[in-house]
Amino acid sequence: MSGALLLQSLILGVLLGGLYALLAAGLTLYFGIMRVVMIAHSAFLILAAYLAWWFNRETGIDPLVSLIVTVPLFFLTGVVMQRLLVSRLKPLTLTMMSVLLTFAVALIIEGALGFFFTGTQRRIPLPYASASLDFFGAQVPVVKLIAFGLAAVALALLFVLLKYTKFGQALRATIQHPEAARLVGINTDRVAGYGFGLGLATAAIGGTALSLDATIYPSLHWHWIGPLMAIIVVGGLGSIPGAAIAALVLGIAQSLLQLPLGPTWAQTVFYVALFATLMFRPQGFFGGRLAQRF
Amino acid sequence: MPSVSSREPIATETVVVAPPAPVRRKSSRWVGLVLLVVGAALVLSFPLVAPNPYILSAGVVILNYAVLSTGWNFMGGFTGYISLGHAAYFGLGAYGTGLLIKYLALPGFVAWILAAILVVIIAIPIGIAALRVRGASFVIVSIAFVLIMLLVFQSWREVTGGSEGLNVPRPFDVLRPEHHRIFFYLFTALLAFALVVWWVIDRSKFGTALKSIREDEDKAQSLGVPTTRYKLIAYVLSALFVALGGGLYALWFGDLDPIFQFSILIGSYMVLMALLGGVRNLFGPLLGAVVVGIALEYFKLEFGDTQFHLIATGILLGVVVLFMPDGVIPAVKGLFTRKSDQASIREVTAGELLEQNKAKTAAAAPRTAASTEETSS
Repeated sequence: MSGALLLQSLILGVLLGGLYALLAAGLTLYFGIMRVVMIAHSAFLILAAYLAWWFNRETGIDPLVSLIVTVPLFFLTGVVMQRLLVSRLKPLTLTMMSVLLTFAVALIIEGALGFFFTGTQRRIPLPYASASLDFFGAQVPVVKLIAFGLAAVALALLFVLLKYTKFGQALRATIQHPEAARLVGINTDRVAGYGFGLGLATAAIGGTALSLDATIYPSLHWHWIGPLMAIIVVGGLGSIPGAAIAALVLGIAQSLLQLPLGPTWAQTVFYVALFATLMFRPQGFFGGRLAQRF
Repeated sequence: MPSVSSREPIATETVVVAPPAPVRRKSSRWVGLVLLVVGAALVLSFPLVAPNPYILSAGVVILNYAVLSTGWNFMGGFTGYISLGHAAYFGLGAYGTGLLIKYLALPGFVAWILAAILVVIIAIPIGIAALRVRGASFVIVSIAFVLIMLLVFQSWREVTGGSEGLNVPRPFDVLRPEHHRIFFYLFTALLAFALVVWWVIDRSKFGTALKSIREDEDKAQSLGVPTTRYKLIAYVLSALFVALGGGLYALWFGDLDPIFQFSILIGSYMVLMALLGGVRNLFGPLLGAVVVGIALEYFKLEFGDTQFHLIATGILLGVVVLFMPDGVIPAVKGLFTRKSDQASIREVTAGELLEQNKAKTAAAAPRTAASTEETSS
């Protein structure tokens, strides 16, 4: 195994980890705000990828432009979904029932994608698809760099939004203690709706980034939801930094393990990490009080 | 088991709910018995009246779903832990049976039993790991488990045959319709066995403890219920019945494919069927399996490969979760008994509870003091 190959795997791992981090941050948001485990997150991811592909096929414009439409669209969808569906569930059984409800949404999306676009595998033909940069002997594909850049920018925006704006403060207050947040005058219902929308917006960005260099098909989302779920449990449910760190570490591990094991077996690293976490530290590595009971 | 002669045996959480008039109780018991006999007669006569082998095979599929869903309900119904990954045990039971026949040349039904025992051995450590967490994390782990199994059985080509699938020789050397008929009765027997075990647990102290975990795990633990051990037993039992269903499926269908055996969809069907019928009812999963099974066959016939059945399943699951999370059976029962405003133990305040219990013990004390003691333990 040459040094250049190792370096390349490491870089690819970081690039992949960035995308995982963005998506896991979205999942963490839903969980933090509403104790909702959003199985449909990766289905929306694939939906966004399909929309980008469809946009490109119909107009011939770069798929990244589709973000202008999909991000607001997904945000609105998230708000509507939270207000009309999730908030109807009884608080007592919310966590379990939300899993089933979002699972149902995932099935509907998968079925609809298969219905409208058929099960054929799709790929966006990009002029710069095979271009790559040479980085100390390692070949780094441009599309992966763009995808990582998108994810990094989105994560940074999310961080700034949560940390420095009034809305972000309200959102974090809602996560920490909903009743106390209501007492100081925060409309937690509205904030929760917007938070849900933000989570779906990350799926829109992630999906568009994914569409650049992945072959997509309707049932692809099952391959994403497993690793993402593992990431948020390993990171500690509800902790965004935990999710981001776990995403980077596991992304790099997956990329490095592909060298000796091949791509299929390398995927098991997520599940091994998941079971190890449950055995030795069920609340996750960065989870606090919140993670323990769920 | 508590004595059944003088009072109707009811689960503890319904003891709390205001008891309906005694006359109605007796009649509802007769209605239940008649329904049971009619239902059993319908099921047993189905192979005789089925117009063609296709309909008969659809009946076998539905019975298989009923076995899986009832098996799932050992965990989901009693403890409230919803597993979306029980398809893993379905696949393991099926593949275990197939592989044992292929490599050890065992007779079909010996392999079937042995595979179920092996699945129990696998389910114990998985259960220990998964049951360390509650709620959402448990669901995540269950999904992860079925995804791992899919990965392993697809990639481990040399042993499992990978995506090409695995052929399981038929145990009986008969024509296809006759084969369907034999397996229809085998699945019926397995279903009956699962239902009887569920019924026994439902009325036992063990079952009451499991239900207390469902209602409030922390309180159950503080009252001395060994929650971890009980949950594990329920989990393993549930895995066992699903694996038995899977093994029998392998012997019947004869052709295994990892994508189907380890699909999350199968796991979600189990959940959907149980929820639709009602997880707290003995026959809930069976009823759900009949409804969903017929619907699935219909959609596959009408819409073929268009994935429309996914949309239909999704919409049905969403509707059930949003509007009748307790299932159809309680909803229908509520129409007749008009006391459905109290769904669970939590709906009653401590004061009301005291009043009800006082009234009840006052009524029951003269006649059957002993049995009251037993049921309230």
